[in-house]
Amino acid sequence: MPRYRYLPYQFNMEVTPAVQINHLVKEFPSPFRKSRVRAVDDVSLAIMPGEVYGLIGPNGSGKSTTMKALLGLLAPTRGSCHVFGKNSMKTDSRQEIGFLPENPYFYKHLSGEETLRFYAKLCGMRGKEVQNRVEEMLEMVSLQDARKRRIGGYSKGMLQRIGLAQALIHDPRLLILDEPTAGVDPIGSRQIRDLIVDLKARGVTVFLCSHLLEQVQEVCDHVGIIFNGKIVKEGRLEDLIAIEDQTEVVIRNASSRTLARIRAVIADAENAEFVRMGKPKTTLERLFLDEARKSDALANASDHAETAATAAKPGNTNEQGDPHA
Amino acid sequence: MRRNGFFSPARISVIAGHTFTQLVRMKVFYFLAVFVILMLAASFFDMPWSRVTEDSAEQELIILKSTAMGAMAMFSALFAIAGTALLIPKDLEDRTLYTILSKPVPRLDYLLGKLAGVLVLIAVSLLLMDALLTVVLHLRAEELLAAEMEKGAKLGWPQQYLDIRRESISQQGVTWDLQAGIAAIFFKATVMASLALLISTFSSSTLFTIVIAVVIYFIGHFTADARNYWLYSQKDGVSGELKILTQGVALIFPDFQLYNIIDASIEGKKIGQGVLARLAILTLFYAGIYSVLAWFTFRKKEF
Repeated sequence: MPRYRYLPYQFNMEVTPAVQINHLVKEFPSPFRKSRVRAVDDVSLAIMPGEVYGLIGPNGSGKSTTMKALLGLLAPTRGSCHVFGKNSMKTDSRQEIGFLPENPYFYKHLSGEETLRFYAKLCGMRGKEVQNRVEEMLEMVSLQDARKRRIGGYSKGMLQRIGLAQALIHDPRLLILDEPTAGVDPIGSRQIRDLIVDLKARGVTVFLCSHLLEQVQEVCDHVGIIFNGKIVKEGRLEDLIAIEDQTEVVIRNASSRTLARIRAVIADAENAEFVRMGKPKTTLERLFLDEARKSDALANASDHAETAATAAKPGNTNEQGDPHA
Repeated sequence: MRRNGFFSPARISVIAGHTFTQLVRMKVFYFLAVFVILMLAASFFDMPWSRVTEDSAEQELIILKSTAMGAMAMFSALFAIAGTALLIPKDLEDRTLYTILSKPVPRLDYLLGKLAGVLVLIAVSLLLMDALLTVVLHLRAEELLAAEMEKGAKLGWPQQYLDIRRESISQQGVTWDLQAGIAAIFFKATVMASLALLISTFSSSTLFTIVIAVVIYFIGHFTADARNYWLYSQKDGVSGELKILTQGVALIFPDFQLYNIIDASIEGKKIGQGVLARLAILTLFYAGIYSVLAWFTFRKKEF
């Protein structure tokens, strides 16, 4: 059930940022050189509660290092990271964080349910609370049927979903996702994105690292572009990608005459210039998902028809089991 | 919001329970089959010379105990070193460590949980082996005692001598002194596990941890002799600095000769409670020192 626990920050300007990174610098020693390698160079950003923030950049740009600093897995060389006002190097800050690493591997000897129990107990939950939360999470990620199966036998998509469930087990206010859909098929990828959108609706802040730009565009409302350890662009997604001097109008069932009139109106208008007209295109992903849904429905319908036909056979109506009667 | 203390026994027990399950599901208890075979071989195999001497019954029981406790010491040291050395690098390699440390889990809890899990595994293994040894040893001691009494009756031994023989054979059977020896095996394994934990916090591979831990294990068996020999060979006496140095070396390389009550218990000697208590305190001291050092290395470690 959706819970709107936190007001959007626009309504409360005094609210503490969910994530506050101040002039973060992270350097690593270089094995063969005197100088150190700077992975993150003076990164500053703030994510307000309820936002979905996407940090995008190529491999090796410093995304994961920034995330690890925020999780306390790496100590900043300079600068600081705070989660809801708490220093990320303190254990208490992690009470507010749920983390899904890139390509997560969980303990293969545990089942899905045991995995969630383990993480719930690590977060200090006990007894009935653990049971209820595990049930809730298994339902949320649609893994009830695979709850008793060992993690070693899970597919990539299932692993990502159980990873998401473990990240959310203690009801954190901030969810950090490192390439959450990497290596997952389009259907699994869609499920994960739907979950992120659902979490956003519940008021959970999401900090997402990815290089799959289309997916970031779909779920994030703020983005930062990181390149060679530096944030080169940051802001509201709508502001960043909007082409300010252009306007898009989508019309359904317009005749060629209507279109010609629209073009004529534009030609008459002062300063307006006609740029392009054509049919909007769906995405390959949407096409794939539609076809998958149709095939699924067809298979179900044919199953039903077969069952009905078997039940309707005269021999099957004889409850005594004699087909020749 | 939950407060997370510096140290949480509940969280440590969760990690310990999980570590125990992890090791059990790695099928480590299959070693018990080897132990059972060893026990059967030791209890049914009669040495050609075994009934030649006057105390042949005691010798047979000592051989049985020696085989069993040798296997116990070997398995427990193996679990302590390999089990502990495997855990942290495996968590790091599988990235499960990220998911654990990104939860509100203090690093000390993680380390102590892992150590406690291995120790529970060793304790359960030793208890199972101990139970088997106790049953086999009891049956064998009763059998040998009955045979000895029958032999004595036939040869017309006086009652006083029969009583001496009874006591002598019983002392080689199931006794509390034997249990003290098994407790010492556990203590020794505890020291090794905490040492392996310390090494694994800074080592880059499981193999390195195992090799270094095994080397320290062997050094630990003659470190006291080496130290004494070296100190006595100093003709001009020993300075205060040298004493501190040797004490420092004794800390890095635990003195396993202090755990020699294992041999005494196999030989059926009496072991005082005070000796066992002192050994327990010494074990706590070693395990404590190694765990604190492990925490110092691990608390600032970057992943």
